[in-house]
Amino acid sequence: MASSFTTLNLNPYSSFGSASNGEINTKKKIEIKMNMISPPSKNGTRFKAMKFKGTRMREKQLTEMIEQKVVEANQVCGEDETSDECKVAWDEVEEVSQAKADLRLKLEKLQQDPLESFCQENPETDECRIYDD
Amino acid sequence: MAVSTVHTVQSLSSTCSISNPTKSHLGFNQKQLVFFKKTTTTTRRATTVITCSAGDTVVIGLAADSGCGKSTFMRRLTSVFGGAAEPPKGGNPDSNTLISDTTTVICLDDYHSLDRTGRKEKGVTALDPRANNFDLMYEQVKAIKSGVAVEKPIYNHVTGLIDPPELIKPPKIFVIEGLHPMYDARVRELLDFSIYLDISNEVKFAWKIQRDMAERGHSLESIKASIEARKPDFDAYIDPQKQYADAVIEVLPTELIPDDNEGKVLRVRLIMKEGVKYFNPVYLFDEGSTISWIPCGRKLTCSYPGIKFSYGPETYFGHEVSVLEMDGQFDRLDELIYIESHLSSISTKFYGEVTQQMLKHADFPGSNNGTGLFQTIVGLKIRDLYEQIVASKSGAPLEATKT
Repeated sequence: MASSFTTLNLNPYSSFGSASNGEINTKKKIEIKMNMISPPSKNGTRFKAMKFKGTRMREKQLTEMIEQKVVEANQVCGEDETSDECKVAWDEVEEVSQAKADLRLKLEKLQQDPLESFCQENPETDECRIYDD
Repeated sequence: MAVSTVHTVQSLSSTCSISNPTKSHLGFNQKQLVFFKKTTTTTRRATTVITCSAGDTVVIGLAADSGCGKSTFMRRLTSVFGGAAEPPKGGNPDSNTLISDTTTVICLDDYHSLDRTGRKEKGVTALDPRANNFDLMYEQVKAIKSGVAVEKPIYNHVTGLIDPPELIKPPKIFVIEGLHPMYDARVRELLDFSIYLDISNEVKFAWKIQRDMAERGHSLESIKASIEARKPDFDAYIDPQKQYADAVIEVLPTELIPDDNEGKVLRVRLIMKEGVKYFNPVYLFDEGSTISWIPCGRKLTCSYPGIKFSYGPETYFGHEVSVLEMDGQFDRLDELIYIESHLSSISTKFYGEVTQQMLKHADFPGSNNGTGLFQTIVGLKIRDLYEQIVASKSGAPLEATKT
């Protein structure tokens, strides 16, 4: 199996040059993309994609919940670190942190407001008011 | 005389409809059982067509502690099948479900029996089985697998409440993703393939720092405390599932850089169970042997810290497994293609398919190391498994055409 490939021209670009779907980028872009380990800048790309009031509300709500729940967890665990209440409190922190990260990821990677399809069907709802920064 | 083999025994009443078409027509998709009844006295042949959704849905379980819907793994997997996975159109905007042409991915958090308030009251975390309705999970996965649509609840991660259900129709590939896909034995039986994503503590810590440090409420201490507090439940309820998985992707810190604690360079092990139906483990050079391979050398130049592979048979929780391991990262396209060309049994349909899939998602985390590589390969393996299952099922009706 492996041996049959060594006789082919291993120029990595010859097989992809004719890709018509435009998905294969130039060499430089690929190198840059592959070197990116951490997500791009916190502000610019995310806020560009945010369009609807509902998304802005969710983002705010999650941010506030993270702060609030960390404070709560520290309080509860201060009393008894081994209690069930303590582990539930930190589990909540994890849940909202992950939810926030998911939202951030959707905005940055999809470059689209997650409410886009919902708002197409329901443009009149309060959540779907266009968000003005 | 023509009787086709019934390959699954279902309760026919719930999923089937019976019709007597005036013209006999043979629509041989997998979902129809056609019974011919030849009456002895007349030449007229009565045809009864029983249409069953006999279920050609393949069910995949993915255990991961990284929430649902964000999953890079899911996006890679659905991409292998073609098409982008998107949330259901026009439904609950907080739905965790992803749907593409061939694949539907649901989040098992939707089967929480206790919402956030309920869990707080009872003092149980989301990791605890007591917070989850396994009976409902089993019923609905079974229904989907046998071709019946279900109304599945939605767990809203923003409000922490359980929202009204959404309709899930049986897809070709049904993926159940979450904390407990293999916890319940009945659900386990329904899985055609299962994967466990095993992130070591050091890497988990590094990733959560990356994820949370920018948040106002968080600090190094809070991130650490959160991981520590969840660890007992995680070890008790989630971790033991890995013994049941057909494939485990284990993510560890690199051994190439001493004291690397940033979690940027990773050592990733793809642990593949032997003897799983329709699943042929990936191998390097010589199946069943033990190999250590550093591709960087005269033909391939790599930058620091380089790439190191190993492959070999091992035992994992009493099972025979094959382990393919990659330590390091690629930073060039030709490194990736070179590595792909030396791997065997990767179930690609053309040379360079793994590389092409990786490039499609070059901005996803793990695109330059073993996590992305092995997730992509597992995606291809699942496609292969799906095609084999479909091919084996369509064997039965074809018999009927002969007679």
